[in-house]
Amino acid sequence: MRHIICVALMMSTSVLATMAQEQQTQPLMPGEKPKPTKYVAVEEQKEHLVFFQGFTLSVDGYGPVAMMVSDYGTLEGALRLNLKNTFFPIIEAGVGKCSKDDFNTKVSYKTRAPFGRIGIDFNMLKDKFQSNRLYLGARYGISIFQYDIADPAQTDPIWGGSKPFSMKSIDCTSHWAELVFGVEVKIFRNFHMGWAVRYKREIASTKSDFAKPNCIPGYGYTTNSTCWGGTYSLIFDLNWGMKKSHKRGVNMEIRDIPQKEEPAQAEDDSQTIIETENGTEEEQPEE
Amino acid sequence: MKKIIGYIIGAAVLLLVGCYSNNCPLENTVTCNYGFYDAEGTAITYQDTITVTTLMPGYKTVYTYRKLGNLTVTKDYSDTALINQGYTESVSQQRKDTILLNNLYGASSMKVPMSYFHEMDTLVVAYRSITRKDTIKIQHSSYANVELPECGTYRFHTLQNIWSTDAAIDHIEISDSKVNYDGEINVKIFFNGVATE
Repeated sequence: MRHIICVALMMSTSVLATMAQEQQTQPLMPGEKPKPTKYVAVEEQKEHLVFFQGFTLSVDGYGPVAMMVSDYGTLEGALRLNLKNTFFPIIEAGVGKCSKDDFNTKVSYKTRAPFGRIGIDFNMLKDKFQSNRLYLGARYGISIFQYDIADPAQTDPIWGGSKPFSMKSIDCTSHWAELVFGVEVKIFRNFHMGWAVRYKREIASTKSDFAKPNCIPGYGYTTNSTCWGGTYSLIFDLNWGMKKSHKRGVNMEIRDIPQKEEPAQAEDDSQTIIETENGTEEEQPEE
Repeated sequence: MKKIIGYIIGAAVLLLVGCYSNNCPLENTVTCNYGFYDAEGTAITYQDTITVTTLMPGYKTVYTYRKLGNLTVTKDYSDTALINQGYTESVSQQRKDTILLNNLYGASSMKVPMSYFHEMDTLVVAYRSITRKDTIKIQHSSYANVELPECGTYRFHTLQNIWSTDAAIDHIEISDSKVNYDGEINVKIFFNGVATE
């Protein structure tokens, strides 16, 4: 559709230009004064980006690998809005899984639950027209999950005796905040790849009498009050509703050439001065 | 350039060192905190030596040796050397016990561990200045708590009832029933007498 509009605009522009040229080349009738030549004043040559640049869909490639090789991993994707190639409001959602058996204490911890994050990224590159991005962002994350914890044998060191301990489906709701720093580069057409590091801080978690959540889906391990994370994203730009022309916003105004008293010599020369867009003047001999 | 790389590596090492920490509780046993007060409720430093033992499940054989004019000797095994010295041996069955606090002196509080799987703990408090002993009985429930899997499972307790004899103790009361890592005083022991300034 956009292509059709562009072609139509180009055709109409060329037709108008041809008409104008024809108008200029028409011989003057006796007593007729030459009409003032039109010119286009481009007040602002600087290109402006359209506000809405489309959607971006991304999936994380790091989380599934981490899930395979370690105790904790995620499967997650994100939907992001591109506003002027500068601001990127984002919604992330996924499933986190943690299954840990401590070698020394034999205590096991298991959870598998969905999580969500919402936030915004800011493209820090000065040139907003290029496809590569360096961004800084923030997120708020939440996960409502249940976890199991078990100890095969809890032993009383003084009175003696040993009993197993197992708690299943302990309810927990966790909130956290993240700072994100990342890069992404264009690989092919609408396909980008990028990585990001995330500094996470746990805000609050539901307290249980029996155990503290050791691992929160989407957040990671709660060994400390903060933790680091990362993503390696495969990003697809979806140009739904995006206006392709970057020329939108250029202020173009068509004006008449101001009438001024031309010297008699100019009339004798019978030449018309046409001011071009780039501001230079060129002479066009009258046919 | 080398200097910059050095700074970056140094910062990374510091960051990694800073990130590594073990957040396990320093003490590996949850203890019940007993605060010492005089009969009127003023916190005191108890100027006597206290030894706390607890009764364990099961019984043990105790060998007691007596000889006129000598102190009575108690042993967990039969000592033929004492018999040869003229001591008379008597064998009895007693509840097993173990020392939880040995010769605590000049303290304003004491920390005593609690049993994991028993509903009632019996503490025997012996004093150096008096021959009588006090017995404290604590009824409680226990539940497991896991701070972190790498720290193992701990046992928290909820105090339900407490009793004591009156050799040196005026009365005793529960002040905070939850026994955990908070470090609050769980039990207040009010000793006989009033502290003087």
